[in-house]
Amino acid sequence: MKQMIVVALAVGFLASCAVLSPPQQQTPESTPGNPQGPGSSRAPGAAGGTQAPSQTAPTPPPPVPQQRQFALGAAAASLVGTAHMQEQSRNYGVAAETLERALSIEPHNPLVWIELGRENILAGNPAQAYGMGRKALYLASGDPHAQASAWELIAASLRAQGRNDEAYAAEERAVALSPN
Amino acid sequence: MTHRFEGLRWTLPAHVYAAPLDLYAGLDLSAPQLEHELQRLSYHPVADLEQPGTYRVTGTRIDVALRAVQFADGSRPATVLSVLFGPTGIQDLRDSTGREVPVTRLDPLLIGSLFPIDGVDRIVVTPQEVPPLLPAALKAVEDRSFDTNRGVDPLAILRAFWVDLRSRRFEEGGSTLTQQLVRSYFLSNRQTLGRKAREAVMAVSLAAHFSKADLMNAYINEIFLGQDGNRSIHGFGLASEFYFGKPLSELDLPQIATLVAIVRGPTYYDPRRHPQRTLARRNLVLKILTEQGVVKPAEAQVAQRQPLAVTSGASGAYYPAYLELVRRTLQRDYPEKELTEAGLRIYTSLQPRAQELAERSLDAQLQTLDKRHHRRDAKLEGAVVVTSPQSGDVLAIVGARQVDFDGFNRALDARRSIGSLVKPFIYLTALETGRYNAATVVQDQPVSIKLATGRYWRPENFTRRTYGPVPVVRALAESLNLATVGVGMDVGLDKISDTLTRFGLEQPPQQVPAMLLGAIDISPLEVAQLYDGLANGGFRTPLRAVQAVVSADGKPLKAFPLQVTQVAPTADVYEVDSMLEQVMTHGTGVPAMRILPPGLVTAGKSGTSSQDRDSWFAGFSGGDLTVVWVGYDHYQPTGLTGSEGALPVWAHLMASLGTRPLEMPEPEGVTDTWIDYQTGMGAQPGCPGAVPVQVALPTGTQVTPMAGCGTGTTAGTLLNRAGQWLHRLAH
Repeated sequence: MKQMIVVALAVGFLASCAVLSPPQQQTPESTPGNPQGPGSSRAPGAAGGTQAPSQTAPTPPPPVPQQRQFALGAAAASLVGTAHMQEQSRNYGVAAETLERALSIEPHNPLVWIELGRENILAGNPAQAYGMGRKALYLASGDPHAQASAWELIAASLRAQGRNDEAYAAEERAVALSPN
Repeated sequence: MTHRFEGLRWTLPAHVYAAPLDLYAGLDLSAPQLEHELQRLSYHPVADLEQPGTYRVTGTRIDVALRAVQFADGSRPATVLSVLFGPTGIQDLRDSTGREVPVTRLDPLLIGSLFPIDGVDRIVVTPQEVPPLLPAALKAVEDRSFDTNRGVDPLAILRAFWVDLRSRRFEEGGSTLTQQLVRSYFLSNRQTLGRKAREAVMAVSLAAHFSKADLMNAYINEIFLGQDGNRSIHGFGLASEFYFGKPLSELDLPQIATLVAIVRGPTYYDPRRHPQRTLARRNLVLKILTEQGVVKPAEAQVAQRQPLAVTSGASGAYYPAYLELVRRTLQRDYPEKELTEAGLRIYTSLQPRAQELAERSLDAQLQTLDKRHHRRDAKLEGAVVVTSPQSGDVLAIVGARQVDFDGFNRALDARRSIGSLVKPFIYLTALETGRYNAATVVQDQPVSIKLATGRYWRPENFTRRTYGPVPVVRALAESLNLATVGVGMDVGLDKISDTLTRFGLEQPPQQVPAMLLGAIDISPLEVAQLYDGLANGGFRTPLRAVQAVVSADGKPLKAFPLQVTQVAPTADVYEVDSMLEQVMTHGTGVPAMRILPPGLVTAGKSGTSSQDRDSWFAGFSGGDLTVVWVGYDHYQPTGLTGSEGALPVWAHLMASLGTRPLEMPEPEGVTDTWIDYQTGMGAQPGCPGAVPVQVALPTGTQVTPMAGCGTGTTAGTLLNRAGQWLHRLAH
């Protein structure tokens, strides 16, 4: 009986992966506010979602793809857009609050951290921007594009602090990861 | 006197708000949950959407007439929002024109005030925010000649004098609204003839200098309308929130009549303590309003049939433990006077839902524990802290079982020995030396350490047994004292102290061997700060209760932006966290598995101080970090380990929060690896005689496979992960 429940749950879980995985290589993080979304990095399908398995497939799914691409969900994207407008009118404090709302919706999305880091550079807080760049880099594991953006942020934050040699090294990391 | 009155300025307490709930398509929030959130904000259901503060449920859709509100970062006008629900939560949000709304916020819940030492609390309302019925009713009941009198009403005084003479005591005041205002604003409440004479003179003077509209507005904001512990409720604006949980502008006829009834004697006509008496007075007010032609008889009849409908308790949205943290945060930047008298608006991180669930979990589990571990001389106490590790936001604080009591705040002030909660930091320090990993076999054997006093320290395991050679993962998961002391002494107390300080320990611990078993006395809030770094991949985010402070006129004064600093290598923290996950599946956290929903991956650690005086559990999911302490205030032994006392509170709370599973990106430099829990050798699932667990190990670590088990470093395929996940489900 227990095994049957386990199998049923597993099928349900995989099915939910399929539902939650949009076609454009979105990650679990890009399904905002889904606290019961795909599980831990130690649970099946955690890094997945790039190739949605069939909803009814009882057989093991294909191996986890090595790469993923983060994207912002609609709510976070809208807040990031609002924050950009607030930055244009130099309302940095308000922009930071708007980005923190985006962060509370997608706390594991490195793209939001990168936005918050950029805002900190604009607001004259490069040391904080550096911390956010490191955090974004940590979260961007498996996404070279996001990793490159995180290195760019780290480089900018170092340059703003006059740490030019380190900034140069960070830029090189960014370039090495960039597809173009 | 008139000069003092000129500006009609009151000392305005700071008002404190919870974090507003963001709504967006994809949010896992059901229709009943949204209704609950709306009701918490005193929105009420209606058949047809009317004024702001109402909502309508139609099948899977809820339409809400949102109030105009002020947030920390701007204001929102009153607006209508349609929320459509699907099977997994909010499916769609639209405005009144049918346009899609990507994200919007509910109102921030008013959770309390920081008021001055005299306890005066008030919300000032403008004449536009006052329903016209209120001044009309006040005039009809309290001062019929208000529009024409000159501050006093000689006829009313004569009438009152006659009544008082007949009863030989002061029964009827005969005071005009202006006199009542003078009494409240300038004079004491003692009823003496001398004072009454001064009151009359001052009332005449005020009436000569100010318009009737100004006097009415002053009265509405000034008058005393109730007492809540040491807080006195002044003005109809606050009274409306205090008794009905909603803005004055939204009150209906029976509610306005109730407030007018209370004016006559807020203690005598306290609607919560004396509902019958207050109801009778309210109905008398309604009768007078009919007689005076203020309301139509039919309206009054309907109103008379309504119950008082005051909210169940003054503490409905009153969180003194959280407010105390807010006050302490701001005391660093604001002098007491400015904090309590300048009308600041303080926006906090409090999440009412998490707060409610934390209070409920602690109370329910302590009641169960009391039945099993009953002591006549003391009552079990507890504290809970819930944070969002990514942002450092403090979502909830419970400082006592009796949550509405503004007393000893254990979450902030109980500095108790943390016991084994220190162990993850010992092993993290060990990993950082590069000489240890999760599979390293260490010796759990008797230890004898000579102290500076010349005496010997001989700690024991909780079970009083020794376990011999064990891998680090088991030593941590089962909280083996002897193995940990061995590792800690090898690594060095100074290095461990440094790790704790990096993670946010405020005072460096005394560097004595007992530190390795958690002889460090700190508060639950400080434990939450330490564990935040573990829940956050080695990044420290200072915990914050306050997000922003805004002036009375809406100007941003101070923000508390999110900060993040890396305090440990992500790979080492990932490895420690992989072991803390095993605490939940194989170690002292196992009892939580019966309570947590299947598939909810968490990591945590129990803590028990000597003689079971303190029972701790600290742990996190992908969205929430929760720390629970259970014990007696006077340090009596509880007979409860961390797993028996604090863990049930923690697990029930985490299960109810609807939190997301722990989801850590695998950093460079480590690889998830299957090993045998008992020996640390490589062992795949299904390996005979092994207890396979998956932990992170530095990439390239050579793990000797158990006989007949194949190699251990084959992690990473979905099949393996699926195996682990199914193993957990079946556990």
